[in-house]
Amino acid sequence: MIRDTALFFAHEARNTLRNPIWPLFGITQPVLYLLLFAPLFAGGSFQGEMGTALSTFAPGMLVITALFGSMGVAYGTIFELRNGVLERIAVSPVWRPSIVLGRMLRDVAVLMVQSLAVMLVAMAMGLRVGPLGVLLMLALLAVTGLFASGVAYGLALSLRDENAMGQIMQFFALPLMLLSGALLPMAFGPDWLETISWFTPFYHPVEAGRALFAGDFGDVSVPLAFGIMLGLAALTVTWSVRSLRRLAG
Amino acid sequence: MIISAQGLTKTFTTKSRKGAKKVEAVRGVDLRVEKGEIFGVLGPNGAGKTTTIRMLATLLVPDSGQATVAGHDLVADPSGVRRNLGYVSQAGGVEEQNTPRAQVVFAARAHRVQNPVEAADQVLRRFDLHEIADRPGRTLSGGQKRRVAIALGLVHAPPLLFLDEPTTGLDPQNRANLWERIRELRDLGTSVLLSTHYLDEADALCDRLAIVDHGVVVAEGTPGDLKRELSGDVVTLRTTETERAARVLAPLARESRVDDDVLRVYVDDGEHTLPVLLRRLEEEGLALKSVALDRSTLDDVFLAKTGRSLRDTGAETGATA
Repeated sequence: MIRDTALFFAHEARNTLRNPIWPLFGITQPVLYLLLFAPLFAGGSFQGEMGTALSTFAPGMLVITALFGSMGVAYGTIFELRNGVLERIAVSPVWRPSIVLGRMLRDVAVLMVQSLAVMLVAMAMGLRVGPLGVLLMLALLAVTGLFASGVAYGLALSLRDENAMGQIMQFFALPLMLLSGALLPMAFGPDWLETISWFTPFYHPVEAGRALFAGDFGDVSVPLAFGIMLGLAALTVTWSVRSLRRLAG
Repeated sequence: MIISAQGLTKTFTTKSRKGAKKVEAVRGVDLRVEKGEIFGVLGPNGAGKTTTIRMLATLLVPDSGQATVAGHDLVADPSGVRRNLGYVSQAGGVEEQNTPRAQVVFAARAHRVQNPVEAADQVLRRFDLHEIADRPGRTLSGGQKRRVAIALGLVHAPPLLFLDEPTTGLDPQNRANLWERIRELRDLGTSVLLSTHYLDEADALCDRLAIVDHGVVVAEGTPGDLKRELSGDVVTLRTTETERAARVLAPLARESRVDDDVLRVYVDDGEHTLPVLLRRLEEEGLALKSVALDRSTLDDVFLAKTGRSLRDTGAETGATA
């Protein structure tokens, strides 16, 4: 099991390294937000205090990295499904769940590198976070990324259609991003909006990320976000593994 | 016997706006494939060839029936089947972004081959791919991709190889080359199960074959036996009065078929029977537009068994179910 997962992880990681330009594209959006939007955010709500503003703004950008990063990954899987690559692998003695688990681990590994890069940019702009904050944030992002790629592979393997997948992703990505409070904290808005956002998944890692970057490691949002993300990740990973069963259609 | 299957069936339910619709893709297939032979499954698109192969390759679970593949029970021990099987799908499964070498090494690892790098190198050389083994898959030609696909299925030296429509879309030269490779496999002791809708391919390549139509095997045997069973030669006559001509010639023919203005008369010895046939028609005052004498082909076998010509079933177009 572990052997096969490691096998797929190594194979996929090598494929990514052969073309490292794509993960780089994945962080242009959050980095541009940091460079071009964070100063407005700081000026608007924090009297130009860049360090404090970034500890509120950067966690949102990191969660956006996880959200948008995962959206692209599963398109390749639809192609591999049609191209017979997955079918071929399925007729080998490998443990079948490792086909998606290896890919998810690759996605998480890529997300870790992307997140570190985004954090470095934020730090260069004035963000101050201790090592514990960084580590806990990376752990939270890893679980968030696992949840997001679980959704992506589950959708890819059930829909088997790039167009349908693109439409669904587009349909959900914008409201989920707005309601996560990644751009502006939901506390800025009316109560009803904050209540709605509480029931969307990405709100929680953003809130917890802000607590972590502010040094409030004991804040209730932190265990809550870990709990919710772990639960959702378990559900979606199971879903995508189960979708593999219908590999041959 | 390397494959023994009895009564395999598979029904798909397709959902559309008009409601669920059941498609009986395979309605009871029996197959017996001996060790070391090239066994063909011949039939038009939609006959159930691919579904049968996918069931035997553990990709689909049959609704009923049983099979032993490479010494393992298909339903009870699918992983035992997978360990002893090479499977090359119609799509091929060649990764576009990756080099053939990386893919073949990975396939070797997935099949737990002892020395994956060496095994990959050997199979790539065997298929004349070592020179292009380090180029991305997308830069390869159709024939090269086909050979990479087969190398991917053979790297773990399985005793049994499945090839689903191996030469579809290849030019004649690449087809002939691939036939040669498949014969080499047999010479090395690998058993091959291949599906095809090409009559000439089944005829030239297969030791034995099963003709399938609408999800059942309609005939099975060596190409020679199948054609002999039908009788040696076919006289194709075009006339305006095919029904009457058929009645007149019935005592001279082993079998005859009417198809619009075409009458096919199956006879044992065409060279000597043809003048007799023509004399009888003239005596009866039947005018002929044309006449042709051919050896009977697998298409005649197909026509005799199913009432349709394989050439008329759209075999060259459309998708295979």
